[in-house]
Amino acid sequence: MERLPLAGLRVADFSWMGAGSYATKMLADFGAEVIKIESMANLDNLRMSRPFKDKIPGVNRSGYFADRNTSKRSMTINMKHEKGKLIARQLIAQSDIVCNNFTPGVMERFGLGYEEVAAFKANIVYISMSMQGNSGPHRDYLGYGMTMGALTGLQHLTGAPDREPAGTGTNYPDHIPNPCHAVVAIMASLIHRDSTGEGQYIDLAQTEPTLALLGPVILDYTVNGRVQQRRANRHDYMSPHGIYPCHGDDRWIAIAVETDAQWRALASVLGMPLWMTEATWSSAEQRLAKQSELDDRLATETCGWDNDELMLALQVHGVAAGSVRDVADILEKDAQLAHRGHWLRLDHPEMGRTIYNAQPMRMSDLAVTPTRPAPMLGADTEDICVSLLGMNPKEVAALQEEGALR
Amino acid sequence: MESGKGGALQGVRVLEVAGQMTGYCGKLLAELGAEVVLVEAPEENFARRQPPFIDGRRDADASLSFAYYNTSKKSITLDLDQPEGCQMLRDLVADYHILIEGEPPGALASKGLDYKILQALTPSLVMTSLTAFGQTGPYANFAFSDLTLLALGGMLYLAGYPDTPPMGAYGNQAINAAGMYGAVGTLIALRAVRNGQPGRHVDVSAQECVALGMENAVQMFELEGVIRKRFAGTQRQAGTSVFASSDGYVLLMAAGLASNQFWLNTVKWLISEGVPRAEELGGEKWLNVEYLQTEDAKREFLDIFGPFAQARTSEYLYEKGQQFRVPICPVCSPRDVVSNAQLRSRNYFVDVPSAPAGRDLKMPGPPYRLQATPWRIQGAAPSLGEHNIEIYSRAGVAASRLAALASAGVL
Repeated sequence: MERLPLAGLRVADFSWMGAGSYATKMLADFGAEVIKIESMANLDNLRMSRPFKDKIPGVNRSGYFADRNTSKRSMTINMKHEKGKLIARQLIAQSDIVCNNFTPGVMERFGLGYEEVAAFKANIVYISMSMQGNSGPHRDYLGYGMTMGALTGLQHLTGAPDREPAGTGTNYPDHIPNPCHAVVAIMASLIHRDSTGEGQYIDLAQTEPTLALLGPVILDYTVNGRVQQRRANRHDYMSPHGIYPCHGDDRWIAIAVETDAQWRALASVLGMPLWMTEATWSSAEQRLAKQSELDDRLATETCGWDNDELMLALQVHGVAAGSVRDVADILEKDAQLAHRGHWLRLDHPEMGRTIYNAQPMRMSDLAVTPTRPAPMLGADTEDICVSLLGMNPKEVAALQEEGALR
Repeated sequence: MESGKGGALQGVRVLEVAGQMTGYCGKLLAELGAEVVLVEAPEENFARRQPPFIDGRRDADASLSFAYYNTSKKSITLDLDQPEGCQMLRDLVADYHILIEGEPPGALASKGLDYKILQALTPSLVMTSLTAFGQTGPYANFAFSDLTLLALGGMLYLAGYPDTPPMGAYGNQAINAAGMYGAVGTLIALRAVRNGQPGRHVDVSAQECVALGMENAVQMFELEGVIRKRFAGTQRQAGTSVFASSDGYVLLMAAGLASNQFWLNTVKWLISEGVPRAEELGGEKWLNVEYLQTEDAKREFLDIFGPFAQARTSEYLYEKGQQFRVPICPVCSPRDVVSNAQLRSRNYFVDVPSAPAGRDLKMPGPPYRLQATPWRIQGAAPSLGEHNIEIYSRAGVAASRLAALASAGVL
């Protein structure tokens, strides 16, 4: 088997729900041994979140959980049990990385705050991904990806100017900004550790990466005093730039025109409607000045088209266009993601062959990852206790009996 | 550049062929301590033309977008449309660990700058290519904008109001996503090199990155046959929505998570505030998610919570709701964000003195705090070619060759 780039690293993974699990999934998919520490006593809510295989709820049946926990091992430890805490310590002592996305104070209650861990495992790379960070007046506040979108300005800026702020409709910070920033910080810390032997603590406040993606709009306020508002799908200098209706129910296409030549190509593909040939629309400046009218008129030209056919026709002429893919389209009609091999079907012991996302980057000599599904709850508990922590099966059974390993 | 404690990536040298896709990836590495050298075309750089601009200026240092995405970097000019420029890049690469680029697929290969050639010269090189759709495939050469990538990546369909076209996420999130995943892949490959593995080419597709932002939509379709749609402006289920306050909006997530705890907390809070009919929300039926999804439930919740929220400030609702352990927060504008007490307390925003801009620029700071090797801005975004002499002389390029290249317009 090929050697994955992160082979040989071990992660004691206390993360749950969204961002933490998605971060450690990347490490696992690229070869780290990620041990997800879970408990029947305090289940990762995602294990009980829809959708379920055959619509039957069960801790090993959630597609949402499965996609976020590929390639990991699962060990159940009851962190409220004294012996459970001790076992977690032993596991950390043999790990390179500790990851959690609890509210500040939870790991400390387990006796596993950074200071305590560093005392017995000095070179640990330890990341805490709390909602608002480990300091400040709001450090204990509750939130989820959607509230982070709201706190950072992303929600305010996304949507129609005359409507309530729309946001992404998802817990976006959980899916891309926070897990990616977490892995960047972890990898940089490992590279530092490799050359100096020094581990460290990483405090990632889950609002701060998303805000770091909004630099220009923040600068527009701090430098120019301008508070930008949401503006539907409009753009500073491209016109037309928007989402236009196509043939069928709730079918749309995104079109973005940057140059006047592209505008003429758009007109040509749409069959040279008379109005599009008028001089009044010929420059971007003119089009920007009358965008509402332009959008309305363009909609009447696109609405008879199949969105994929229009996209392909426009692309032949170098006009940026993309069908608005719903989930059925993206799975069944997107030739590019199919070419990339993005949709994976992995064989899960209880769910059977179900769908997973691939990682969105390819490395020259490596196959697409992941190749292993999410773990069954506690599937690796005994093996980890025996082969890693040196217990014998009787001891493991006794600890299970006592409720320390459940 | 200031001295001081080095970052985690101190000693790592990066070339970034400046383009539409590369800015954030390079910035992430630079602020962890890597030396990132922007390779800019002498006359044309997309990134320097991006709005907003300082005080309406339009010179090469006026873009606030450029000023943000290129902090901590150095700039050299090099014309990769000329063979001498390409040769220079091949010469430079030998001294660098990482090359980041975002040119259209095949563009560098046509100039003899593809990974195979560069790796033959520098076997440990990590080359990261950030493109809209990846290096190969039927859409690889499609024209794109951030909006078309959000559309094709599936995030767009989930965003917006049921009665309008979908709404694109603000702020080039597809391009940012490619930058973030690019940094992840780059560092994974770099560490592997440090541990004796060969250099690698990291091929990132922005469309594919966006597909990771579809939440559970893919599994909902596969396992339950449901096509997830957009719901802005409506309650996703009773108690989970944006609600108007007296001075803006708040976002409340009282229900819909696996546990009912936040619903119970919300009811307790509203009763303590003396909200009329709040106790009606305490009945058994409200603990059933199917009921929460009914129009009756949404209407009743809005009747009770709506008037209460509309009479109070977002700040009040935030503080009081959080005291009762309710996931609620204000919907912040950029102005609100800059004055946010939590972010101020964490000294999140940084003032970057910028000679090219002619002023200090207050901008978002550390996206993470690395205790031993702090995140740090190493300097303002450079002016065009600011570091030509430093970088080319360090690479051992003779003054006579530099002068010849300059007069031929290669620099």
